[in-house]
Amino acid sequence: MTTWYLGLATSGHDPALALVDAAGQVVYAEATERYVQDKRAWGIAPDHAPHLERVFRAAGVDPARDEVVIAASWKSLKNERPATQTNMRLPDAAWLAVLQSRAMQDAGASLLRLRMTDAPPQARRYEHHLCHAVNAAYSAPFDDAACLVIDGEGDVGATSLYRMTGRRMKRVFRSWGPGSLGMYYAWLTEACGFDWRLGEEWKVMGMAAFGTPDPELVRWLRGLLDVNRGRMRLPPGLTLADADARVAPHARRPDEPIMKAAELAASGQQAYAQMVDEILTEGLDAPGGKLILSGGCALNSSYNGTICGRLGFDDVFVPSAPADDGNAIGAALLAWMEDHPGSPIPRGDGSPFLGARPDRRVIDKLGAKGGFARVTDLAGRAAKVVADKLAEGRIVGVMRGRAEFGPRALGHRSILADPRPAEMKDRINAQVKGREAYRPFAPVIPTARVPEWFDGATRTSPYMSFTLPWKPQVRERVPAVVHADGTGRLQTVDAATNPWMTDLIAAFEARTGVPVVLNTSFNIMGKPIVHSVEDAVAVLMTTGLDAVLLEDVLVEAG
Amino acid sequence: MDSETSNAVMDFLKTSISHYTELTADQITRDSQLTEIGLQSVDAVLVCGNVEERFEIEIDPSEIFEHETVGSFARAVAGMVDAKA
Repeated sequence: MTTWYLGLATSGHDPALALVDAAGQVVYAEATERYVQDKRAWGIAPDHAPHLERVFRAAGVDPARDEVVIAASWKSLKNERPATQTNMRLPDAAWLAVLQSRAMQDAGASLLRLRMTDAPPQARRYEHHLCHAVNAAYSAPFDDAACLVIDGEGDVGATSLYRMTGRRMKRVFRSWGPGSLGMYYAWLTEACGFDWRLGEEWKVMGMAAFGTPDPELVRWLRGLLDVNRGRMRLPPGLTLADADARVAPHARRPDEPIMKAAELAASGQQAYAQMVDEILTEGLDAPGGKLILSGGCALNSSYNGTICGRLGFDDVFVPSAPADDGNAIGAALLAWMEDHPGSPIPRGDGSPFLGARPDRRVIDKLGAKGGFARVTDLAGRAAKVVADKLAEGRIVGVMRGRAEFGPRALGHRSILADPRPAEMKDRINAQVKGREAYRPFAPVIPTARVPEWFDGATRTSPYMSFTLPWKPQVRERVPAVVHADGTGRLQTVDAATNPWMTDLIAAFEARTGVPVVLNTSFNIMGKPIVHSVEDAVAVLMTTGLDAVLLEDVLVEAG
Repeated sequence: MDSETSNAVMDFLKTSISHYTELTADQITRDSQLTEIGLQSVDAVLVCGNVEERFEIEIDPSEIFEHETVGSFARAVAGMVDAKA
């Protein structure tokens, strides 16, 4: 009999599961939205039975003999908490409370479906922000660091600060009561005419590059939250209605031109940066050394890219899944640690490739079934052939190996293209992804080449967590991955951790002289990243994608 | 007879609660009814946070609402502090 630790992200949004083995290593982690192909998978159980069954089979869990410990990513049920003032709209707050409470109460019930238990299992419950912190620490490449968790809501507040020493996490403080940066950004997203429930905070960050912050507006936005010794809270007397009325002259309705939101987005992003700066400088007795960022706000790559070398921090780490999906890992590890008293937080190898593999049997059928212009097995030469295709202007979807855990495609579920033609951005936005023309695309670059191409102190960004300014003299060489403000949200790769992408970029450089490839997630707007081979082939057949690489099999459209 | 810890918690609560209400610390006693001293629920949660930090315990945000008087809450907190020691 083996004991496994099944971590469940039980927020009610962005559900996910993670499996930790008896040695304390994460062997599997996947967001539910991938399996069900429904963005954010609102209200769907993180242990959705058919998904769980497949994960158990892939990981080698024996339902007949093994024991599974269930771990949930919250300590409390939101609908049992005292009603507190919040900077979230009331229907949204109530909706989240309903979904979270249901997810918590039902956590692990799918074990009944698999006949692994005779009664609903008792899930162990772990503090939400501690799950964020432990998830991040697992893949962090250092043992001592400050760890800041900022998100929409935690068990008691929306900010927690920890000090990790020798991979042991000790809380410095957690904020209490209302006052949330995640909710601030959700509110800003709506004021910009976007919808946070669709996860459109990205659009605000992208839009910010087109605007110039208005100092007066920034000052007022900054005043929407008080920071007291690093703890955030709503200023007394401030209401959401007041904030809505005050921002109205700068706001954009969803049906208005997108660029109308640029100034507000830029100002809101700058105010966000000032608030996080204050948390870090006031909350820590001695800022400096290493910093780990986790929680949904750690996806703010624009801000993340500005921290290193400033505020005294010489290195900053953000895990591949810092938001609530990643808490599946945190919860599973906390359960493992509870059963191994005295153990420090286990250290993983940093690989974000923790999800499903493409089904080889389906790939093999593609050649036999026909209907495509060409199906070619490129075993041993896929990187070179794809690099050539890219250099010739082709847009190629790649589905290789295990899927990434977290929101970014890092070369295993990616759409790749040549970053040199300026029109490539419009081509992919319009013909493949079906999204707005202003949205930027990200570059992949070998770690060793970063100093030649980028300014800024950050050197590694394996999960696309940091946005840095391109060096001015290189921007014209890769216009499709240079955002309006001259920045790029880079992914760095090296031979040890991402050998195939490293080979591909080397081949692309040999042909073009440019060691940079455009990398965007393999999905279409509004849909999650592709999960099955069938999903990938559907994108090929319904968009302007030229080819997909399934493991080493290249399928080209007619 | 209240313990030394309970007295220390009570002293802290008086100061903390007075910060969020119209009352002075001296006007808050063990018998003060939590629902009658003008402490808003949002501020009651913040009092819990202050207690957690001061006494380095982990406290549930709903803890304070389970008590009728300040003294009852103080004794419960003192129990947690002593259990930790």
